Amino acid sequence: MAHTGKVVASAKSKTKPVISPAMLPMEGITDVQGVDGTYLQRNDVMFTAMKHTQGEFSDFFRALRDEGKVFGHRCPECRHLIIPPFMRRCPACNFVEMKKEYVNDTGVMVATPVITVFAPSRFKGQEPFGTGRVFLETADGKLSDTAMLVRVRTTRGTIRPGIYKKGTPVKIAFCDSRQGEMLDIFAVPQNELTPQQLAKSPLFESEIEWGRLSEMELDKPTAQLQKTLQEVRVHFQKLAAMIPHSPRATANLANWRRTVTVRTGGGTFGLVVNKGKLQVRKEGVKDPDLVVAVQDPSILLAWLRDSTEPVGDSVKSPALTDLVIEGTVVLNKPELETITRLDRVPRSLRRDNVVVARSPKAKQETPC
Amino acid sequence: MKDVAIVGAGMTPCRSRWVEKTFWELAQMAVSEAVHDAGIHIQEVDAGVAGIYNDIFEFQAIPESGFQGIIGLQNKPLMRVTNGGATGAYAMLAARNMVASGQHDLVLVLGVEKALDCYDFEAESNTPAVVQTIGYSWDPWFERPLGAHASESYAEVIQAYMDEHPGDLAPMARAKIVELLCEQAQNNPYAQRLGEKVTAEQVLHSRYVVYPVRVLETCVYTEGACALIFASSEMALKIKERTGREPIWLTGVGAANEPYFVGNDITRYKVLHRIYSDHVATKKALQMAGITIEDVQVIELHDAFIPQLMITLAEMGVVPLGRANDLVEEGIILPGGKLLVNPSGGLVFGGHFVGGSNMMSTWSAMREMRARNLEHGLIHGTGASLSMYGVAIVLERRA
Repeated sequence: MAHTGKVVASAKSKTKPVISPAMLPMEGITDVQGVDGTYLQRNDVMFTAMKHTQGEFSDFFRALRDEGKVFGHRCPECRHLIIPPFMRRCPACNFVEMKKEYVNDTGVMVATPVITVFAPSRFKGQEPFGTGRVFLETADGKLSDTAMLVRVRTTRGTIRPGIYKKGTPVKIAFCDSRQGEMLDIFAVPQNELTPQQLAKSPLFESEIEWGRLSEMELDKPTAQLQKTLQEVRVHFQKLAAMIPHSPRATANLANWRRTVTVRTGGGTFGLVVNKGKLQVRKEGVKDPDLVVAVQDPSILLAWLRDSTEPVGDSVKSPALTDLVIEGTVVLNKPELETITRLDRVPRSLRRDNVVVARSPKAKQETPC
Repeated sequence: MKDVAIVGAGMTPCRSRWVEKTFWELAQMAVSEAVHDAGIHIQEVDAGVAGIYNDIFEFQAIPESGFQGIIGLQNKPLMRVTNGGATGAYAMLAARNMVASGQHDLVLVLGVEKALDCYDFEAESNTPAVVQTIGYSWDPWFERPLGAHASESYAEVIQAYMDEHPGDLAPMARAKIVELLCEQAQNNPYAQRLGEKVTAEQVLHSRYVVYPVRVLETCVYTEGACALIFASSEMALKIKERTGREPIWLTGVGAANEPYFVGNDITRYKVLHRIYSDHVATKKALQMAGITIEDVQVIELHDAFIPQLMITLAEMGVVPLGRANDLVEEGIILPGGKLLVNPSGGLVFGGHFVGGSNMMSTWSAMREMRARNLEHGLIHGTGASLSMYGVAIVLERRA
């Protein structure tokens, strides 16, 4: 293959494929049931691979990667400073050329960041993640005129409401291994950092103390909590037994393999998701992929009752994902996929009539 | 500029997925209905505008190319419009201008979309792939790599508004609007969620998609088509003689797109807690029609998310910014209130086939104006990152 220009390898190259091979379908044409008969559907992809140029933004991304610094562009006439430097000329001043200006790695949130619970395909496995916009401080002690979207993180477990709000002072930190992209940096609340960390620029991810959630302190088990946990185990067994009877629920757990230890105030048990099935273990799993901690097992019991009993329209328990987002259920790492898949199971059981709802409900077409 | 009227409309039912139909067939179904509704022959139509949001949903670049011939506009101009979520409204704007300029007397505007063919083979589910497809609308350098997507983006605006106006967009007000729209959709024979009952209590217990937005507050993904026939006043009056039916007049149009990047100056950047595009577009459309928001009796509003519907109504001036709870608490949009909002069920319950959703809104507003003897209606479209595109169209029924 002829190259028109010399290709210079980046200092660091990712070795993993851009998209998961599991996203690529096998060739094939299958039947699909329509309202009035059977139709055909063809496995396909809209496929275009890219060597996507970063053009005039290359300098900005190189500064993130090589210098651990952020710069913006300032208009010499109106003095507006934009970050990221998304344009080179100021349209308000009839396209006068803007000048490069480094900004501090500290700033404030424009608004309370939002938390993605349900992510697009290519961001699966990263949920829950927080995103928000930051005005960065300039050398003259002011704030930039535009804000930059960044991932927002906390040292205290998975991201949840209440950690950030509008105006929260933040520090931009840098990943130790950087590629030259927006994911090289992230925000941390300044009040989670020591004065030394705050003073250091650039501050690297490995210089921050990240909380270890699997060691969440649980109260000593009481007889009542132990009894509740036993009920939780029984209901999880009941749920696991229903899944093979539901093609939708089986599909919810397909292509997913995880071992999970669930720690509660009433004791510990294990879950294994494999080949579209759910297995329940009396005790925790050795070297689990995921640790889920919840003080009160009755929280899980409420979800299980909603899931395995005919409750019709009056589902009361929050979704497991909501319990994580609200901080009631704590994960040892930001990986929501297992929980999201389990959350889909109850609805699938109803749709496949494994659990028959008390009041008949029309087919629901919600986006997720 | 010439007066422009709508003389015909045709809809397909809204479905989450039409395995029975391609987008060619959906387009033909809607166009066929629209010309029969207008009492015209397709050969009388001079030109067309096709609103199609996304090439990936259609699985074809320049997806409108197949229409020529299928929808009967061979050897005539057909222009495709694509403007994010506001594609339908922008396509209507283009068609209206083609007639108002005097260039054409009869113009077809068609909106069509597939969506649920997109499939995530890893998750064994359509939705992550649909969300990803929409996610390709974000810029590839600064925001998309962070996982920016439609719900994330609108949630940012909603959250910023709530920061600015604590207590507004109250959970119960939002939940009651969902319940209301669900009830209203039961009167729309084409609604995707016909037969469904969603209560406010269910909304309050539904899970978060992107905190602080819950799944029952979000619009659906839909496949379907809607076609409208726009006519010059001379042609509209001729058609009226044939059909005996009064046309609906397009008396005001307004559009505005906010900048992509967020900043501190509303004249230069997107200010996150506002949907300023809706404010500007509505103001322009009302001015052009020579009316105020008080004169509008029905609004078909692009409700991508229920809290965004509330902000948009405030930006339009129905309530002050920060007082959107009044829409429910003062009964403004509840049955018996002074304003009818989304009698179709909106995009949350009626359906959201992106390229044609705003045309469905128009179809519904016209239907209500005739059935309830209303004089003024307002159509709204929004779209793109942070709800930055805004279009407003005033409809008038002349007795």
